[in-house]
Amino acid sequence: MTDSPPDGDLVDEAADSVEADAVETELEEIGFAAELTELVGASLWVDEFDTIRIYVARENWVESLRLARDEAGLTFFGWLSAVDWSTEVAVGEQVGEPDELIERYEVVCRLSSVTSSKGAHFFTEVPKDDAIIDSIVPLFAGAEWHEREAAEMFGITFVGHPYPLKLYLPDSFQGFPLRKSYPLLSREVKPWPGTVDVESMPAADGPSTTNVEAGDTGGDE
Amino acid sequence: MTDIDARAAMHLSDASVSVELETQGMTLNIGPQHPSTHGVLRLVAKVEGERVMSVQPVIGYMHRGYEKLTEVRTYAQITALVNRIDWVSGFANEIPWIRAVEKLMEIEVPERAQWIRLILTEMTRISSHLLFMSSYPLELGAATPLMYALREREYVMDLIEGLTGGRFHPNFNRVGGVKPAAGGGSTQKKVSQDLPAGFFQGTREAMDRIDSVMDELDELVTGNEMVRARTIGVGVIPPEKAIEFGLSGPNARASGIDFDLRRDGEPYLPYDQVDFDVITEQTGDSFARYLVRKEEIRQAVRIVRQGIDNIKPGPLQAKVPRVLKVPKGQTYVRTENPKGEMGFYLISEGGRIPYRVKIRSASFCNLSILSWILEGALVPDLVAIMGSLDFVLGDVDR
Repeated sequence: MTDSPPDGDLVDEAADSVEADAVETELEEIGFAAELTELVGASLWVDEFDTIRIYVARENWVESLRLARDEAGLTFFGWLSAVDWSTEVAVGEQVGEPDELIERYEVVCRLSSVTSSKGAHFFTEVPKDDAIIDSIVPLFAGAEWHEREAAEMFGITFVGHPYPLKLYLPDSFQGFPLRKSYPLLSREVKPWPGTVDVESMPAADGPSTTNVEAGDTGGDE
Repeated sequence: MTDIDARAAMHLSDASVSVELETQGMTLNIGPQHPSTHGVLRLVAKVEGERVMSVQPVIGYMHRGYEKLTEVRTYAQITALVNRIDWVSGFANEIPWIRAVEKLMEIEVPERAQWIRLILTEMTRISSHLLFMSSYPLELGAATPLMYALREREYVMDLIEGLTGGRFHPNFNRVGGVKPAAGGGSTQKKVSQDLPAGFFQGTREAMDRIDSVMDELDELVTGNEMVRARTIGVGVIPPEKAIEFGLSGPNARASGIDFDLRRDGEPYLPYDQVDFDVITEQTGDSFARYLVRKEEIRQAVRIVRQGIDNIKPGPLQAKVPRVLKVPKGQTYVRTENPKGEMGFYLISEGGRIPYRVKIRSASFCNLSILSWILEGALVPDLVAIMGSLDFVLGDVDR
């Protein structure tokens, strides 16, 4: 890594003006987020890293999005997906303390404006044992594919979807691949050598046998 | 059944060709391997005579499960992954991803690295749109423009390859900056890390070539009677439909939606310091989509030239820890990819790998309008409409 001292004054000045701009836009967006939260009747909103998250109740899901579209000008359908918060993790890293985590799915929908940079992410919680939510296809025709994807990847049922078939996966596919509990078979067979990205180099003298054990077979031996 | 047979018999006995033949509906299977599908896409079309009654696109042949793979890879490894999403504009895919990581880590990228990113993004846009300029006339039956457009595109690809080491998959971005250039030697020698000698001169020359080939293509294609007859008024997307389906990029701008993330979105590269026009058309037909992309090439050339004028010496890389651990947080970063809005929703719970990454790719949303737009179209227009949407199946299937 380089440790070049950057050109002091220039960089500082630039950073200051950037910071000032950031504070200004932040204030604007916080106002917008609070307004939007009130509009859709949500209880919780988060605004961090230039990303607004608004948590609405599952029964208000469609109505909240309709209000955001019709009253707040968020007419552009960005995307819809889901997040699996799970203590049962087959791939990746376990998050947090298992007893603190509330197991749930979160359905996320992003709406934005086409006249300004405004946009927000609407979240709703769906319990694991009752993964059902109303479809928003009547509101946004573009949500059709997104909901089919979320349904096949997470096993969430979208009530009222006009064409509830699998999108990417074959019809006979079993399981829901993006659930945290769904194993990635290639990882079961062989650990990914790259998970440790700072590795000691193999010993220079003679062929090393430890590499094979570590999962790095080197290929053509 | 007998009723239809009787009607068919009646028409067959009629010698006049002006009578529209009524035919039995049939299902036409197009793809998965078809030259106009830019990958593997299958369309199940119900047609009656020359009229398409309904179309059901079947996708997923190239589904690689990137969203799952991101959950088992480190942040640096995912950069190599994401530039394979839309493989004709690999560099532009890396930008939203790397910005999302930088946002959570609160890293300020050195100015020179930002300008290099901007120049390369626009060069990628030129190369992606030139591919459209070559393939779209080909789909309409004109083979010559392909030679012109691809020849000049190769100069751009050569420059990208010379700088990054890869024609299609540069993997050139690093968290906090860009990679020391190919052949740059040790990272300790600060001078040799920089861009290869003659890169700017070569880029200027390539931009002049692009300008002149655009004039040629204008003469060859834009005024061509056949092209106009096959595209004007064909596949019209009204603006409200474009918004509802989440269409973005040139496809939305051709329908009169004056929105470009480079100008109107959250700032991600120094686009505010360059002068360029956002191209819009009002008609929303296939020809309008062609016109928007054609003019965007010229605007991208303008941006690249200004980028070269504005870039100043400086470091390429901010200081980042050796092992990337991204603090807890969630962010969404979207950028103007050549195909439209590309975004990454990144959830980090701390640690070396992301908890969840949602990839919003432009072609996925752009293609989802296909059933709607092809309903009622003529079979010969099918390819003309599909080609004008300029999608890449890698970007659809992810």
